[in-house]
Amino acid sequence: MSVLREMLENLCSRPFTILYPKEKVPIPVGFRGKIAIIDEKCIGCSRCAKVCPAECITMVPDETEIEVKGKKMVRKKRPEVKFFRCIRCGLCEQYCPSEALVMKCELSECGPDKEVVVQ
Amino acid sequence: MVETILPIGPQHPALKEPVNFKVIVDGETIVGLELDVSYTHRGIEKAAEQRDFIRVVPLLERVCGICSHAHAQAFCTGIEEVMQLEVPPRAQYIRTIVAELERMHSHILWLGVAAHEVGFNTLFMWTWRDRETTQDILEEMTGNRMNYGINEVGGVRRDLTAGQISSILSRLPKLEEQIGKYVGMVKGEETMLLRFRGIGKLSKAEALKYGTVGPTARASGVDYDIRRDDPYIAYSEIPWKVVTDTNGDVYGRTLVRIRELQESLGIIRYCLEHLPEGPIGVQAPKVAPKAEIFSRYEAPRGELVHFMRTNGTDRVERLDIRTPTLANWTSVTVSLVNQHIADIPVIVAAIDPCLSCTSRITILNEQGREKARMTLEQLSEYGRKYSRERGRC
Amino acid sequence: MDPLLLAVYILIFPGFLFLLTYAFFLQYLDRKIAARMQQRVGPPLLQPFADFIKMLGKEVIDPAGVDRVAFDAAPLIAFAAVMTSFLYIPVVGKSPFAFQGDLVLVLYLLTLPTIALFLLGWFSRNIFATVGGVRAVTMLFIYEVPFFLALLMPALMAGSWSISEIAAWQMEHTWFAILQPIGLVVGLIGLQAKLERQPFDIPEAETELVAGPWTELTGRRLALMHLTMHVMLVAGSGLIAALFLGGPLLPWTISPAWLSGIVGFALFLGKTLAILLVLASIKVATGRIRIDQLNDIGWKYLASATILQVAIVLIMGSWWVSG
Repeated sequence: MSVLREMLENLCSRPFTILYPKEKVPIPVGFRGKIAIIDEKCIGCSRCAKVCPAECITMVPDETEIEVKGKKMVRKKRPEVKFFRCIRCGLCEQYCPSEALVMKCELSECGPDKEVVVQ
Repeated sequence: MVETILPIGPQHPALKEPVNFKVIVDGETIVGLELDVSYTHRGIEKAAEQRDFIRVVPLLERVCGICSHAHAQAFCTGIEEVMQLEVPPRAQYIRTIVAELERMHSHILWLGVAAHEVGFNTLFMWTWRDRETTQDILEEMTGNRMNYGINEVGGVRRDLTAGQISSILSRLPKLEEQIGKYVGMVKGEETMLLRFRGIGKLSKAEALKYGTVGPTARASGVDYDIRRDDPYIAYSEIPWKVVTDTNGDVYGRTLVRIRELQESLGIIRYCLEHLPEGPIGVQAPKVAPKAEIFSRYEAPRGELVHFMRTNGTDRVERLDIRTPTLANWTSVTVSLVNQHIADIPVIVAAIDPCLSCTSRITILNEQGREKARMTLEQLSEYGRKYSRERGRC
Repeated sequence: MDPLLLAVYILIFPGFLFLLTYAFFLQYLDRKIAARMQQRVGPPLLQPFADFIKMLGKEVIDPAGVDRVAFDAAPLIAFAAVMTSFLYIPVVGKSPFAFQGDLVLVLYLLTLPTIALFLLGWFSRNIFATVGGVRAVTMLFIYEVPFFLALLMPALMAGSWSISEIAAWQMEHTWFAILQPIGLVVGLIGLQAKLERQPFDIPEAETELVAGPWTELTGRRLALMHLTMHVMLVAGSGLIAALFLGGPLLPWTISPAWLSGIVGFALFLGKTLAILLVLASIKVATGRIRIDQLNDIGWKYLASATILQVAIVLIMGSWWVSG
């Protein structure tokens, strides 16, 4: 009786449950977590805003001097991500030409306000 | 008892998603059935017409949680054929691995749900524990446990490293051993046999007449599998077998799904060991030429059909999705008659219903409405008035 | 017996207070063992008690057109019945209320909760509850006859209708579990059916009828009915322990009376825990069967096994009388 045998084996072994929050769930590399914007690298091309399926990235005007590949230039806009509208598909990270948007390996939080912005 | 109407749904512990069955019973036997499947309609087909080819793929992934790769892949297959793109073989193999992992995760989930419907909660807990292995593998590969986001028109977005391949291969033997145990349990456990054997019988002629697809039809002896009969991605290069059974009842469908699990494990192992080198995608053009394309995919539940009409712009003009569950609902209405009330959850679960996939239509009021739109307050008032007037059902 | 001692017996130990505590404890153990067998963690120790307190604080909803008096009375009657039935079961030696025929009384009292459940299902004007209530009574007809016969066989062999005397008879001879094994098996199956646990939880089939006769119970009524089921587990296990496993009595006497009481109590706890282990294993290892399949199995196998047992007991009885 395979059912009975498995029952008795399980009775004598540790449960499978991960006792969160005492034990943490292991997060693999490449996990789609929180979105982070690295301000020094952004050149303001708006490609991320155009490619986002959920339309959660808006470009706000911001004049900053940045240095790209040794040349100085003035960036006109920078992106703002609405944190809780983001579906974490990663298209913005893929299409950004200067690697200014990264998805970190941290668990993305959730909240009720869809207009909250992450810098 | 005189004929009474037993309302199963829209909220019911047997259903995972809202669907409305009005079952007409006489004592414990079912005499008739009325069905309404439009509860999760979200307007996805219309939303897909307004997004270009890069932005529409994440939308289509979210049609359904369990078959998410199926919808994205069916769309990409169709558009790549229209654009006449030659997708590199490494991308096709990675797509196959994710597709088969999704099939495994869906079938293991189904096994647990079927056991739960007959009250056998132990098997439910054990199968979902093993499903965690597939979910962990998917998370390592794609970054997400569901809605994988690995597909784009022209290829895949992420590559598999050698370390990932060996770690996945090391986890497959334990999974294979557990699936073998489940075969033994399903064939030997008395209460499951009592509840599954002879229930919801569908003969081969009936299956063909009502257009059932997927494991539901293959359990009645219909030998039809899109992966073999109309191959896409890498299935024509991999040795695998179509699984059929002749029982035709819920027991037959269980056996078909478990054996498909074993086949999928074999396919994944072959793909991982024979992964070709090369790029993982080609650059797709922005616009697609004018065409009408019909793309089919063997989702875990059956034959999924995407019909697309493109018109030379960077969007589809019309997208129509016919899901396998929609094709299988007619067989439920046929096989439920003259069964007991206690068999309703089992028969409904045996076609593996996925309502989020299915609700592509919604029934409007035929007498016509003055307003084309309703605000949220008007909608909630309408709902309250409707249920007050209807009274108890 | 001294009236003060009697009052302590009824109210505190081994009466109501001990009964309620032990009911919660056995419920915790049942859920913990079932969870560990399924490789889950299971609830903490005070979980059943916490569930009871929480349920008492919830709102009581009366469906439209329902007879409130009957709805309130049915759980109370069921609860009172099982609490009373425990008084006749030997816990630390003979029960002070024992009399000839208390076995029949206990069996009758343990049937009342099922009737109360049927009435609750019938009174709630809800299709799920009605079907569930009808299933509960149908199940009663199927398993009750073998269950009663299996439990009355020890009385026949011991020559007495009092539970305490049957337990005492086993002290001098052997346990009835060894003399009447078929009766023990039928008794355990019947107890599982009475408690409506897998594979017999047909009235409360969660995935078919939302909760069967329990659908319209809320608040304190639900708390009381749950508590009735927990207490019935204790009373049923105690009954089977007393009838088949010798209850709290040892085959030899221990001289100080208080030591004999403690040893007897420990034996009672041990035997009921063993029965709980068997019942929990049955619950974990099976799914739910249909009511017409239970009809088949009940009359084909349970009833014929019990009749076989009756025949064996009668033959053994006539041998002993003549030999």
